[in-house]
Amino acid sequence: MLETRSLTKSFGAIHVTRSVSLRLERGERRVILGPNGAGKTTLFNLLVGELAPDSGTVHLAGEDVTALPVARRARRGLSRSYQKNTLFDGLTVEENLALAAAVPTGHATRLWSDSLSRPEIRETVAEVAEQVRLVPYLHAKVSEVSYGVRRQLEVGVALATRPHVLLMDEPTSGVGPEMSKGFHDLLNDLPSDLTLLIIEHDMDLAFAVADTITVLNYGEVVFDGLPEAARGSKLLKDIYLGSWEDA
Amino acid sequence: MFRHTPLRHAVLAILALAALMQAFTAGYFGLEILIEILILCMLVLALDLVAGFGGMVSLCHGALMGVGAYAFAALATLAGLDPWLAALAAVALTAAVAWVIGAICARSHGIYFIMATLAFGQMAYSYVFESPLFGGDDGMGGIDRFDLTAIGIDLNDSRTFALFCLAVLGAVYLFATAILRSGLGRSLTGVMHNEKRMKALGLNTWRIKADVFGLSGIIAGIAGVLAAQHIMFISPGLLNWTVSGEALVVVILGGLGTLVGPLVGAVAFVVMKHQLGEVTTYWHLVVGIVLIAVVMSRANGIFGWAEARWGARLDRRLADATRSPTPEEVTSDA
Repeated sequence: MLETRSLTKSFGAIHVTRSVSLRLERGERRVILGPNGAGKTTLFNLLVGELAPDSGTVHLAGEDVTALPVARRARRGLSRSYQKNTLFDGLTVEENLALAAAVPTGHATRLWSDSLSRPEIRETVAEVAEQVRLVPYLHAKVSEVSYGVRRQLEVGVALATRPHVLLMDEPTSGVGPEMSKGFHDLLNDLPSDLTLLIIEHDMDLAFAVADTITVLNYGEVVFDGLPEAARGSKLLKDIYLGSWEDA
Repeated sequence: MFRHTPLRHAVLAILALAALMQAFTAGYFGLEILIEILILCMLVLALDLVAGFGGMVSLCHGALMGVGAYAFAALATLAGLDPWLAALAAVALTAAVAWVIGAICARSHGIYFIMATLAFGQMAYSYVFESPLFGGDDGMGGIDRFDLTAIGIDLNDSRTFALFCLAVLGAVYLFATAILRSGLGRSLTGVMHNEKRMKALGLNTWRIKADVFGLSGIIAGIAGVLAAQHIMFISPGLLNWTVSGEALVVVILGGLGTLVGPLVGAVAFVVMKHQLGEVTTYWHLVVGIVLIAVVMSRANGIFGWAEARWGARLDRRLADATRSPTPEEVTSDA
């Protein structure tokens, strides 16, 4: 469903992504682990087109999308959520979801159709709000809801475009253990054919949801395999997991 | 997202009634002021559409109005086209010019967007100023108003022309609200709030901005056609950046991004201009002080201030008055 071949990116002399090759099957849930500065978010930016690679290619459903801009990749079913909330703060939760839900229907660019009142868009908004537990907050302004609700909305907005592949950049960043557990349930409730690539620092959540784990270190893939194998990997303990397991 | 509130409806009703009263009772000079206000209202609606709901602060909307006025004048007087056809062509041309300017400038933001639109506006101004075809700095005269005598309406009468402009303004306002309530208009609001996210959702954001800029050009073009018919003479000054600057002042004075506010701003600006102009030639100083006070108060213009002060209270009262009583309330009333 999503594949990278020898993806490479440098900023000056700093090699942020070193020949990264990944292959995600349809419906796969993969978690990317790695210490700060490992190049995880840069990899996401390369995948969605916010950054252009120095070399290598990105393939979505078999099509080479490396040259396509962000919007065109998104229209092909590649959606993302951000580590820092990137929402429409002055609007309500419902309007945030509706803006996203209108895009795949084509109503987002039409002059003679009110996207907010279209039944198919209202249906998507209601469904996504249910999925990400936002029903009680639909009429609240984003600027008035808690940080945790905004994190849920961040995922909801990405989901409302009905993507085939969803990239989630630290969805539980900054939330407490209780909400982190809530995200676990939320991720498990997502459609089984949705391909998920998640950057996550919460190890409990990562191992609970992942079908496969990829570990990046200094921009390089140093581990790619099943969660069970990741748990026992000495390399991982050395670069990342040691403190977690000891804890 | 744009929505009408009870306060907005109330202000619109008051403005419409005041305009009607003025149109039926005022003398020649009062009617001229009213027409000036109505045409300015159209221009500031066009500007608020892009600046208030799309974050595109344009300094070429005066020039767009001038393009509409000159295109109408040239087609009707030089090419001899039927005035209605000339008006249609002039509005279409203005929309096309606005779309191209929007498409080019949409990739820039903030001060760079403002400067790019200013450059386009001044290019149009300079061209018209130097062009013998358009009369150069002498301008163009002999422009006729629409001929509606077949249905018993004489637009050469100031009162009738004022009422005609009021009707057109009503249609323009409905057009602007239709744009803002459409998928395109809502996406424009999304672009203003977070363009990066709108791109990530799959939207071609420059296209959205260009399309709404083009639609805003339709309104500016209509204002231009009416401006040309109002005085029956046009000069390059209509395209000068100061016209765009004044329109921006009016939008900010009234309330950016409210659609109703700029109408209030237009009334306040023109009334101040004429009332103070009778007392002093330095009336701009007073307008400047008022504008500074409005901006420094951090209220969103005159209407924004009123909306912050009374809007929520009015909404609550109306909601209380219109909701059906709950069973508990019925019991307690009994």
